[in-house]
Amino acid sequence: MVVMLLVYTMIERSVIFQQDDVWNKKSNNDRITYEYAQYQKYGYLTYVDYTSFLRDKYIEKYDANTYTEKQDYLDDKAVIQDAKAYLKNASVQEFISMYEGKGYTIRYLEPLKYRNGGTKPGGNGSLLAITEKSVVNRLWNYIKGFITVETTKDIKDPELTERYIRVEKDPYSGLFAVVGSGTQHKYLLYFDGRFPFIHQNWIHLNLGTSYTRFRGQEITDVINSPTGDLKPKRQQYPAMLGTDEYVNIAVDFHTLTYNSGIVSDVEKRQFNDKYTVYSYRRSGLSMLENSFVIGIIATLIAYALGLPLGMTMARHKDGLGDKLGNAYIIFIIAVPRLAYIFMLAALGTTLFHLPYKFANAEVRILAYVLPTISMALPAIGGLMKWMRRYMIDQMNSDYVKFARAEGLSEKEIFNIHISKNAMIYLVHGIPAEILGCLVGAIITERVYSVPGVGNLLTLAINSHDNGIIVACTVFYTSLSIIALILGDLLLTKYDPRISLSEDSGGGR
Amino acid sequence: MSELKNMTPEERKALFTFVDNDAISSEKIVAPRYSYWRSVFRVFFRKKINIFCLVVLTLILLISFIMPYFWPYNLMENVSRATSYNLSPKAAQAYFGGFSIKWLLGTGSYGNSILYGIVSSARTSLLLAIICAAINMTLGIIIGAIWGYSKRFDSVMLVIYNIIANVPYILLISVLVYIIGSGFWSFIFALTVTGWLGIAYFFRTQVMIIRDREYSLASRCLGTPVTRVISKNILPFLTSVIVTLLATELPSYISMEVFLSYIGVGLSATIPSLGRMIQQAQTAFLTYPWEFWPPVFIASAITIILYVLGQNLADASDPRTHM
Repeated sequence: MVVMLLVYTMIERSVIFQQDDVWNKKSNNDRITYEYAQYQKYGYLTYVDYTSFLRDKYIEKYDANTYTEKQDYLDDKAVIQDAKAYLKNASVQEFISMYEGKGYTIRYLEPLKYRNGGTKPGGNGSLLAITEKSVVNRLWNYIKGFITVETTKDIKDPELTERYIRVEKDPYSGLFAVVGSGTQHKYLLYFDGRFPFIHQNWIHLNLGTSYTRFRGQEITDVINSPTGDLKPKRQQYPAMLGTDEYVNIAVDFHTLTYNSGIVSDVEKRQFNDKYTVYSYRRSGLSMLENSFVIGIIATLIAYALGLPLGMTMARHKDGLGDKLGNAYIIFIIAVPRLAYIFMLAALGTTLFHLPYKFANAEVRILAYVLPTISMALPAIGGLMKWMRRYMIDQMNSDYVKFARAEGLSEKEIFNIHISKNAMIYLVHGIPAEILGCLVGAIITERVYSVPGVGNLLTLAINSHDNGIIVACTVFYTSLSIIALILGDLLLTKYDPRISLSEDSGGGR
Repeated sequence: MSELKNMTPEERKALFTFVDNDAISSEKIVAPRYSYWRSVFRVFFRKKINIFCLVVLTLILLISFIMPYFWPYNLMENVSRATSYNLSPKAAQAYFGGFSIKWLLGTGSYGNSILYGIVSSARTSLLLAIICAAINMTLGIIIGAIWGYSKRFDSVMLVIYNIIANVPYILLISVLVYIIGSGFWSFIFALTVTGWLGIAYFFRTQVMIIRDREYSLASRCLGTPVTRVISKNILPFLTSVIVTLLATELPSYISMEVFLSYIGVGLSATIPSLGRMIQQAQTAFLTYPWEFWPPVFIASAITIILYVLGQNLADASDPRTHM
């Protein structure tokens, strides 16, 4: 993980702006200040503008409402438009000495003027104090903010008097929910009709923000929020509860978060409190769910087909079935995955008229068929190969000869004794297989344009979205580490002879 | 015999000479000459499919390395003539006036020749696979051999391995290519900078198994130098392992290039490569099938042939099959 984050700092950061419309519209000095503002947003640096410094200074001197009318403020503000005289100003000198003392670099953007004295578009002069954040610093901030737990002290609003976390009756599900006040979300733990039925907003995994593709959005939100059309439902606003008034809206009231801005009059009539920010209920699955559904079904198919096929191949070694199976394995291993996914896509769309691309608006079950099969094919091949290999290795063991001498039938020996021992090698990979579903398959999702997480990384690379690239890397890597640990644990459960601790004498 | 009887004893003595007891040559054991590699190839060529694959591979190699000099490929050759875009083989023949080999497979989305494109692309892919396999295998085997042999090196390398191997390989390469650019050599750099690590790790385990065999221990007790133990006692045992590795590595680089170019981080568009051709034609694979299937077919053919040949060579290089 650390390696990847270091690698990520090597990327030229100006690529962020390649597809940025705002950046393209701005020119000259405006563009430079915009760049700094964006860099600050994505955590590359911190900068202070001379104007905001002035504002703070004069608010302190006068007050927030009237300072803009005072003449000394206006003089101080105008002076940086004069490239020759600005350094003589006392406020400018104060600004420079203050931030240079803190280790900031001062950068003066000269006003750009036409010969007749008019200012060029975006040519206003400005004075900035900049400090770059070190890689170590950024890394630390990233790790520090990785997992956040909501507490009642999260909202820094003095108007909020009641602060609690308690279990209440949930009017939207009819069951109970953990409700918080003073936390970012209102419903911290709740039930509803959507898979996996129990949801939480309590603990957040913060993977960072997207730079270009989903401008400024949290990546955890991007992969978790449902896609597709709005799904309205007859329901009541919190203030309507207990009355007969119903509205047909798609608002998901379980997603309410605190509104730290100004609550409008309409909102005041609809909500009892300041938790007025919501997201909508949609018909589609989220990116994560899409990848997971496809992946988990593909994995189930793979195990249901791959293991028995591998067993049959081993039992009838060198028979016709074994030869066909081997041809299939060679095909799967040697041919680029892209090639046979396209072959399958061509076959499926022309012969069976299955939908080829995922339509964004509507989600049809049939659209999941081809991606699922595409993902199952290589997994079946891999399982067949290893199952056959391990079973053949086991066939000459002493316990098999002993079982045969005892008069067990070949069927019993294969199905009970050999397969159980051969499975030991495969058990270790099962958690990785299941967690791998979350990562999704990069090619499959791209070919069928599935809105899933597997596709996210490649799209991010194409649009130079450093935020998503880092997030994906961290996400994938943590999953693979978890999978390894789970695999080890499962292995010890399946085969008690294997022990992971050093002192108990078991060796591997 | 009768002549011998008629001779005097002196004459007989002159005919024969006494031979000394030669201590050195009496120690030698005479056996029929055995050449390892000759036996390998004898077993290898016993299978008809190997000969067939070898012929096809030689053809592909010759065509892809020689023909680009006669058939220079230029993607933008007809870019100004929009009517020449996406022509089927038949339409292309008609468009360019009569039969020509150049337009045998139709034209691509810029009016480029598909056939010339494939030939040039196959060369890039093969070259890439060969160079990457050479670098990764050499580094992997040398480092793996030391890694497996030296316990102190092992503890250091395991830490490095755990850090790097936890990152999915595809992810690592795509990010690397994204950072360092998409030229031919930078692409090779991305594939080889960590690619050897997996090979070295696999090799380490193999070396460790053989390192502690009795004959190796005995050899070490007799004071054989380390380099000699590695090169004479251990490496020859691993020939078939090396060939097996090669059989999976070579096609994997071709697949990798196809994959990376497809997701848009592969070789740059100016270098003809199979992955690029597939990527350019993938949106139209149902409407203009002649642009899409030939590169897919060639990529699959090359990888399958390399894999089958490699596997069979690995089987043949196992001395137990030399009966």
